[in-house]
Amino acid sequence: MEAMNENKVVPSEFSTGPVEKAAKPLPFKDPNFVHSGHGGAVAGKKNRTWKNLKQILASERALPWQLNDPNYFSIDAPPSFKPAKKYSDVSGLLANYTDPQSKLRFSTIEEFSYIRRLPSDVVTGYLALRKATSIVP
Amino acid sequence: MAANVFPFRDARSAPDPVLEAGPVAHGLLPVPLVLDNGSFQVRAGWACPGQDPGPEPRLQFRAVCARGRGGARGGSGPQVGNALGSLEPLRWMLRSPFDRNVPVNLELQELLLDYSFQHLGVSSQGCVDHPIVLTEAVCNPLYSRQMMSELLFECYGIPKVAYGIDSLFSFYHNKPKNSMCSGLIISSGYQCTHVLPILEGRLDAKNCKRINLGGSQAAGYLQRLLQLKYPGHLAAITLSRMEEILHEHSYIAEDYVEELHKWRCPDYYENNVHKMQLPFSSKLLGSTLTSEEKQERRQQQLRRLQELNARRREEKLQLDQERLDRLLYVQELLEDGQMDQFHKALIELNMDSPEELQSYIQKLSSAVEQAKQKILQAEVNLEVDVVDSKPELKKPLETQSFTIISIPGEFEGVSQRPTTQCQAQYTRDAETPDLEQLEPSLEDVESMNDFDPLFSEETPGVEKPVTTVQPVFNLAAYHQLFVGTERIRAPEIIFQPSLIGEEQAGIAETLQYILDRYPKDVQETLVQNVFLTGGNTMYPGMKARMEKELLEMRPFQSSFQVQLASNPVLDAWYGARDWALDHLDDNEVWITRKEYEEKGGEYLKEHRASNIYVPIRLPKQASRSSDAQASSKGSAAGGGGAGEQA
Repeated sequence: MEAMNENKVVPSEFSTGPVEKAAKPLPFKDPNFVHSGHGGAVAGKKNRTWKNLKQILASERALPWQLNDPNYFSIDAPPSFKPAKKYSDVSGLLANYTDPQSKLRFSTIEEFSYIRRLPSDVVTGYLALRKATSIVP
Repeated sequence: MAANVFPFRDARSAPDPVLEAGPVAHGLLPVPLVLDNGSFQVRAGWACPGQDPGPEPRLQFRAVCARGRGGARGGSGPQVGNALGSLEPLRWMLRSPFDRNVPVNLELQELLLDYSFQHLGVSSQGCVDHPIVLTEAVCNPLYSRQMMSELLFECYGIPKVAYGIDSLFSFYHNKPKNSMCSGLIISSGYQCTHVLPILEGRLDAKNCKRINLGGSQAAGYLQRLLQLKYPGHLAAITLSRMEEILHEHSYIAEDYVEELHKWRCPDYYENNVHKMQLPFSSKLLGSTLTSEEKQERRQQQLRRLQELNARRREEKLQLDQERLDRLLYVQELLEDGQMDQFHKALIELNMDSPEELQSYIQKLSSAVEQAKQKILQAEVNLEVDVVDSKPELKKPLETQSFTIISIPGEFEGVSQRPTTQCQAQYTRDAETPDLEQLEPSLEDVESMNDFDPLFSEETPGVEKPVTTVQPVFNLAAYHQLFVGTERIRAPEIIFQPSLIGEEQAGIAETLQYILDRYPKDVQETLVQNVFLTGGNTMYPGMKARMEKELLEMRPFQSSFQVQLASNPVLDAWYGARDWALDHLDDNEVWITRKEYEEKGGEYLKEHRASNIYVPIRLPKQASRSSDAQASSKGSAAGGGGAGEQA
């Protein structure tokens, strides 16, 4: 039961006073472990951060996969073949009309008047939600 | 009006106690630990052998950590999961080891594992002496598995580990034991949705598909929608509250277009809108002036501005007049024939010829004329302007561009002039919550008054007798978020990703794509066993919708079966636990430390709930040093001896 006691001691010590966590390593861990993926002391100053998913996938692509092997990027769903239905940005109903000035979609006259009175940041917000913001100024 | 008003629960999580492992963890064989490592929640517990399978996982916590309040204080260090209490104050400091559904930041993963082991009562010294069953992503990148194995074996000294897919564990948990099933699993989680065909008890990995949309995208979409509708409540519309709305107030429409039509009808709207009551915050209603006082103030400001303008115009007029006089004088010089003086004057004025002088004179005189005209007009319009102008001078809206809501019936008698103030108020409001509300209210003048309080505080009607009632209404209704069609729009993104601009196909189309890759008889068998699992499938109406989609895509009068998991959230953990108990003695499925060292971290042993292993060797990452402070130079030799550590 010694191990249990020690384990019990550790959490209570956590709660008393600002003790450095590093000074109280958890008993079941190897205290000297350093991740190899993380640069840390290893790769010097260059490789400090973890790779994010994009970088991991980019390096995975370079591996010698066969044609039919399943891997993370080959199981991405394909883009849609069907034309997308247009919904009003404001109310979500089916939108038959688009405002030429702001490119927002609307379905009723009231919505149109609402759209015309929106401040420009809200307009860009709605367009960004649909990923319809235009790059051309 | 009090119907359908719901408060936000804003639940805080209680910190987990450090549990004693109890007799559970001590047995002849070390008891396996089962960890469902998900991007939303981590669920951890023991897989206790014996008749009683045991309760739910001992630990369930959000897979996030954040440094203690107020920046990086030396003492408490990063807090994990339920110890954080409420997530909202720390929203910007939350870090998760996951990028989409793959753990990429193993340091944070280490924190989560520390937390799990500690709170489960792991007591072994120097290593965690229990086999671990861990879930991973479908077709987990080899790099990520390598990192994870390294963490488990090197840091925690685990004897053996098995990796599996959460949706497969859930699938087998819901099927009779040891049956060789084929089926289609649709698993929708926090970050992505997978469609996984199972053939003869084994995952057909090359035909799996993943849609990169899940609960978190739905919550983000809902948050943006509500923030754009209620810009005044930007800070109060938090992700936690959005998740609450999704979990408790949203549903999936069986037929989306038809459901939308239902929502157009004002009665249906009234009955089904969920008004979420935000806690009162006094900072938005800035001034406590009554509307008349505000009107007065506005008029004063206007007058002041106009006076300023008039003064400026007069000054300019004067200057122009003087200049004009001077030029005329110079012109006279020319007419009088005093050429020398004329030329001198021309040079002074920086002009070249008498023609230029002439044109300049003409321009100036016309400008002076116009200025005089404007001054005259301004004086005339002073009265009219005060009545017509908009209160908020900063708003870039033009009074003239207001359109009148065409109100059938009641308002025929009202004049249609754009500058009628009461009309202008209703149309001017940029913060009006719902247009659908305007539709129902149009038929009833009384209810039109009721919706007054929803407008921002700048626009209460002055000429209406309702003014006195408003302050009472204003507060409660102002702090309500009307969630109408958003109830069905947010969960709909997995069926129609074009709602948020994603190019990927939705679940139904992906399902059809996958089915088309199989011969007809296999399609039949697959479709008999469609299985829905994952937290994001828990919307009411999900099963009905899937059945309808299948009905549309399958041949006429063919059959299909859709089954929802008994507990879509926890079944993965239960399934993993069952699997662990079944395979305690089976060495074919566990990756031991020795195998890790021989074959590398990316090695995977296949079993019925695992990924497919593609034997590609990853180059071992840049070597580690045993001493954390070792310089970068001395570490090359450390790589080869990595196995000998600990």
